[in-house]
Amino acid sequence: MSGAAAGAGFVLTGATGFLGSHPMAALVRRGDRVLVFGRPCKGSSLQKRVAGLLDWFGVQSGPGQVEAAEVDLLKPWLGLDPARYDELCSRGSRIVHLASDTRFSRANLPQSLDTNVHSLKEIIRFAQKSRAPFFHHVSTAYVGAAGRASCPEEPAATGDFANIYEETKARAEAEVAARCGESGVAYSILRPSIVYGDARTGRANSFTALYHHVKALSLIRDIYLGDLLSQGGARSRACGIRLDAAGVLHLPLRIFLPQRGSVNLIPVDYFVGAALQVMEKARPGCIYHLTSDTPSNMEELASYCGTFLNLQGIQIIYGDPPGGWLPNPPEALFHKFIEPYRPYLSDTRNFERRNTDAATAGQLPPRLSYQVFQRCMEYAARVNWGSEAQRNGSSLPVR
Amino acid sequence: MKEAMRDESGRELDRVLSCARNCRHYAMCKIDYLGSGVCASGLAKRFVSYYPQGRMDLYAALREGTIPVTRGALDIADGCNLCGKCDYQCYFVTGLRPTIVMRALKQFLSDHAEASGIIEPTTEDGFLWLLRGIVGEEWATSDRAIAVTYSHDPCPVAAPKMPAYVVMPGTTAEVAALLRLLRENGVSWTARGNGTNILGFELSDGVVIDLNRLQDISFNESSWSVRVGPGVSAFELQRAAYQRGYRVNVAEPAALVCASIICSGILSLFATAYGTCADNVIDAQFAAPNGHLFSLNQKDAPNLFAFSSSGAQSPGICVSADLKLHAMTADEAGVLVPFETLENALHFAKDCALRRIGFAIGVLGAEYVSSFMAPTQELANQVKGIFRDKLGMACLVLVLGDRYALQSVRKMGHPLIDQRLFRTLSLGLPMLGNAGWLDLLAQLSRDESFSFLTTEGFAELAETALAPSPALLASAVDPELRAFYETVYSRPELTDLVWLNMFRITSSRVGREKHFFPLLIYLPLEFGLIDELCREFGAIAGRHGIKNELGFITPIDCGKRCIFEYDYYADQCDPDDIGRVRQAAQEAGSLIEEVSARTGTIRWLRYVLYQGFCRKENLLYAAEAVGTWGVEREEVPPVPLREPPPLRCGGDPAAAVPGKESARERS
Repeated sequence: MSGAAAGAGFVLTGATGFLGSHPMAALVRRGDRVLVFGRPCKGSSLQKRVAGLLDWFGVQSGPGQVEAAEVDLLKPWLGLDPARYDELCSRGSRIVHLASDTRFSRANLPQSLDTNVHSLKEIIRFAQKSRAPFFHHVSTAYVGAAGRASCPEEPAATGDFANIYEETKARAEAEVAARCGESGVAYSILRPSIVYGDARTGRANSFTALYHHVKALSLIRDIYLGDLLSQGGARSRACGIRLDAAGVLHLPLRIFLPQRGSVNLIPVDYFVGAALQVMEKARPGCIYHLTSDTPSNMEELASYCGTFLNLQGIQIIYGDPPGGWLPNPPEALFHKFIEPYRPYLSDTRNFERRNTDAATAGQLPPRLSYQVFQRCMEYAARVNWGSEAQRNGSSLPVR
Repeated sequence: MKEAMRDESGRELDRVLSCARNCRHYAMCKIDYLGSGVCASGLAKRFVSYYPQGRMDLYAALREGTIPVTRGALDIADGCNLCGKCDYQCYFVTGLRPTIVMRALKQFLSDHAEASGIIEPTTEDGFLWLLRGIVGEEWATSDRAIAVTYSHDPCPVAAPKMPAYVVMPGTTAEVAALLRLLRENGVSWTARGNGTNILGFELSDGVVIDLNRLQDISFNESSWSVRVGPGVSAFELQRAAYQRGYRVNVAEPAALVCASIICSGILSLFATAYGTCADNVIDAQFAAPNGHLFSLNQKDAPNLFAFSSSGAQSPGICVSADLKLHAMTADEAGVLVPFETLENALHFAKDCALRRIGFAIGVLGAEYVSSFMAPTQELANQVKGIFRDKLGMACLVLVLGDRYALQSVRKMGHPLIDQRLFRTLSLGLPMLGNAGWLDLLAQLSRDESFSFLTTEGFAELAETALAPSPALLASAVDPELRAFYETVYSRPELTDLVWLNMFRITSSRVGREKHFFPLLIYLPLEFGLIDELCREFGAIAGRHGIKNELGFITPIDCGKRCIFEYDYYADQCDPDDIGRVRQAAQEAGSLIEEVSARTGTIRWLRYVLYQGFCRKENLLYAAEAVGTWGVEREEVPPVPLREPPPLRCGGDPAAAVPGKESARERS
């Protein structure tokens, strides 16, 4: 089914998040009408947050082009009064569901279920009532069972999941298929892998996933640089950490991974471009992998980090740590930090892209070269990894 | 030239008056808690007037024209040798530097002598001489310069009362004789410890009986007890007990022990193990209002073990108390367990108390913890923001215990701040504000609360990052005090959780920014009820625009109940702030009464006044209906039990005054 009638526009959920804000900006730039569904937030209205985001993207919207509606996806009729609900239903927009809880810990399972699974009931009901031409559900490539060599663009099989994010997203896909099937709503499922900033400009408005690890290393580096340069360095030397004459910090940091694998990273500009193309050409019930066919590996990423942060000593070791191995303090903290992400650092899955290639005419994401890595990390460091935004009360890094 | 200096330093004078008026009356200048010594004139003369606290009040009163210049004022000012010890002591808890006031007081009186030189004579009437006949001439006064330093309390609900007389008895016999005299003459009185109740109980327009001279401490280790006079402070007693290898259950350091007990019972985190009220009291002696003596354990004494929920009159003055000594072990330590919600913190604290894990437990708000740790208010605000907002620590549960207890705490699986990390944070506080790596910790907490605390080597990493040291901590304080602070914080006990909670020398810091007005309640350790009270107290404070925070919650009675403190804060120099806190306190009081009536399980500390020697069970378990605001209190019937010992002067006090007829002769 081709795109909906011009002017019907899009309804987006999750548009104030990292992944959702980018397609929102692209749609607005393209001239589409956009209705953003989002939660109320203390201190700032949804309209204001959306306006702030568009300003960050440098996108000007036309009169009435962008609207925000504060809704509760867990409440009947989205928590709206009937008249408002009916009015929104009357627009017949395509729906792009990006709202997601991306936390991994099982302690957050109730909230994850609510956001990722239970919210589908009302948003799909809205899709039905509004006769949405399409319901595009953004999932994750990692619903496919780990350990499989090949992950087809097919419904996720049940199996062991690395964390509740994968688990709830897999359940969500099944829920989407079932509810949309019952309601007669055409749907597609988009499965991006790990998304980072814009490969062309380096910009991002959130610094998760790949950024976490680089930021963690940079902060750990700074702790020991401070000790070496200002405190005499005794504590650093006790961990085998030193600064050489060229100013390179030698920081022994062993990262143990279960097997050789890869890290499937795509830049957000690719995600946006591919997602918009998929949405234009989506076939009902189809699943689309928005993934890289040339994923990076940990040795490469470690090398990039070392070059960028001017440090040496990161070692990737495959297999279990030797018996009795005691990590040094930076290793222990870094390991703690990467623990939730460990399944994604030596992944052996090969994501098939037949449907995506057909929809995007074979357009592929760029490989993560050092230049792209450097561009993205320099931007992140320049905006202090988003901390300035938190201090100035906005959700956006200062440009 | 003096005029020019006054003009040029016009702003200086305002800063001085502000300092003087901001004295919190925590009386920390009266105890040598930093090892720097105590005001020499205070130790010699004993009246609070001769301590820095008193001089602050005196200066403010003279500047504001509340009192004239008297001989007493001159003597008080002359007694100060500007040694600067008060700066160390006061700055440590309040951030104030009283030496500027001491200097200004001398200057004020010097200027006064040059200008008019008028010294207002003090009226010494017959009654004063009767008082002196009991305690000696130097220990009874009506001098306004001394009286004014006993006349007010920073508590927003306490109205100032200028006493007619201030007396300082030196023996039990003198106390008894004073009470008899006062009763016979129908003169109102109040006993005063160090005034640290900060609720105005120590004020009277009749006679203030200052008990500070009665400072006997005698140990009877074979029966695990110590006898203290009413002038013994919590710090002094704890220090003496600690030197012998024991611990006593006492309140904030400058509070006089007997006064603390009689006012409210001891409110302490150690109540978890040691109980409260009569739990720690073996015996106590009292001088009844009619001057007769009795002790708790006498069969026919007034039953101070009982509790009346409608309140009680003063049973007299506690002239000595025999208290329990508690053993300590060499492996005691403390931990702080952070929680994102009060509910989870309460659940944990209750669990520990039910299982008898730890001998002291307290749920502490972020305000409390940051105030305790930080040597300046600016740093405390920063730390509070980091703990609460950045790291998500809404509150922390302090548990003190031996190694087995702390092993149990660790097995319960909550990430915690151990003694090593606490010391690192304390001495590294100035570096915490700019620590970019806190973002890492916040990120780690996103998935699993405070998981960074369970990272192997985290304490070591924190030490590397913060480079903690006494010198670093001292760098945050006023430059002139840094050397002193570095020395003080070189002592390991200043960052030891057990020692700090035994001696509580930092607990008064909670009133550093603004004086605090505590709402203290005994109630069941139930989240629903506590949450209701916190929300309602907060709502009341919000309506009146006043600062408010959860203080602490300590489980007692094997985890069934707790002592709960919620604090309102008032700028004691701002009439508007005081007015709003008064209104808020009134509403909070009504709320407590309403909840009391509804649940039947709450005891407001207001009704514990003078009943602090009651059995804990009578306080907490009594089934009688709770009282209401303003109910008439029942009279304590006088029980003549035994004759008091003979007076120092050997007979009729009136005989001390030539020409004065005795009370007996008059009747």
